[in-house]
Amino acid sequence: MFADNRFGYLEHIRFGLGYATTPVYWIADIPTRVSFWIDDVFVSRSDLLEENDRLREEVLVAQRELQLLESLTRENSQLRDLDVATQVIGGEALPADIINISPDPYSKRVLINKGANDGVYVGQALLDAKGLMGQVDEVLPYTSWILLITDSHHVIPVEVNRNGERALARGSRANANELDLEFVTQTQDMQAGDLLVSSGMGQIYPKNYPVAEIISVFADPGQDFATVKAKPLAQLVRTRHAMLVSADTEATAPTAEKAAPDAVIEDSVETQPLPEPITETQLELLTTDQVSKIETESTPQ
Amino acid sequence: MQARAHGIWVILLSFFIAYLLAIVPFPEWAMIYRPEWVPMVLIYWAMALPYRVGIGFAWVVGLLLDVLEGSILGLNAMSLVILAYVTISLHQRMRMFSTLQQSGLVLALVGLNLMLCNWLQIVTAQSVPSNLMFLMAALSSAVIWPSLFQLLRQVRRGFNVH
Repeated sequence: MFADNRFGYLEHIRFGLGYATTPVYWIADIPTRVSFWIDDVFVSRSDLLEENDRLREEVLVAQRELQLLESLTRENSQLRDLDVATQVIGGEALPADIINISPDPYSKRVLINKGANDGVYVGQALLDAKGLMGQVDEVLPYTSWILLITDSHHVIPVEVNRNGERALARGSRANANELDLEFVTQTQDMQAGDLLVSSGMGQIYPKNYPVAEIISVFADPGQDFATVKAKPLAQLVRTRHAMLVSADTEATAPTAEKAAPDAVIEDSVETQPLPEPITETQLELLTTDQVSKIETESTPQ
Repeated sequence: MQARAHGIWVILLSFFIAYLLAIVPFPEWAMIYRPEWVPMVLIYWAMALPYRVGIGFAWVVGLLLDVLEGSILGLNAMSLVILAYVTISLHQRMRMFSTLQQSGLVLALVGLNLMLCNWLQIVTAQSVPSNLMFLMAALSSAVIWPSLFQLLRQVRRGFNVH
């Protein structure tokens, strides 16, 4: 019975049984949905107006940042002479609701309301408004299990945003909602308060999404590695709204699974009329390069 | 004797509600005190109707619970089969027990079930608890048992399940 599960041919049976268990999740989720519905219905007009204003402001700010980001990405891609680097924020995002958490208090997993019928596949990353949450672990017909980054069986490759130091963040074995950075040498430059972003090295998570913030660094001279603890930025236990994103296709090898999203992204890039003015910085670089070249050429003579 | 499968839907409904209670989200601190609803309901039916709810029934119940909890397929199925076997072999004696004695036995049975699950999880390299606090669920199950027993007995008599 157990040995069977090790080789994956019971996956189909599990998938089929998933149809039978979906109604149970649906009913178990009713209290939460009712409370959300009550929140929505019994809300005063002034509150709504206020919230509307606030959201509008937030959208404005976000759009402004997006514009900045776009220009930065373009500049970056031209500097690096890469055609497809514009897809940093590319990829499709699928909104999902967290409808349940694992009944086993020792495994950090949550259930979302999107499954195989919505095109979810194993390995997709889930994130909320603040940062990365986890990856799809098991897909059922209408739901899927997400392994959170705080699970002690989960490791995510990260880098420090400030200086690019790389590390592996594993879910803490002791504390429920922390990450331990593994194999950090004592001389690596990490400080409390540093932001950790995903480095995209495992080819599962998209690059450059915020993951966690370092809360303590302790270097014991008697031990091989420093003890670094970090706190995830995503609201792993409180949020209900999240989104699924496909892995960043820039660095990944083209596999059969990812061929489709890949094509979509490339199409959209091609159809987008990309103006190619040489930016000022690039001009400057060019000129300084040329000048220095001329100088080096002229000096020996 | 009436139709052989009289009131089977009551049994199925009770398991359905037990499933619901088993996966309803709790606050983080309360998770380890969640009573083991499905094993308790199984103990009751195996004790009251051992000719109806047997080892095969327990296996199917456990399999569904596995899918529901997202645990490795067969984990709960195996532990519930063993639980059902022990309960059925004890059912004559268990019916004679006082409520307190029954609670004690439920404590032992659910504790055994939990430890079996835990052991199987270690064998299959799943996430496992680091201390023995997971046995608190057996304690809360034993506390709940008298009221659950009364409730299920009323239901069984009311709907004439046999």
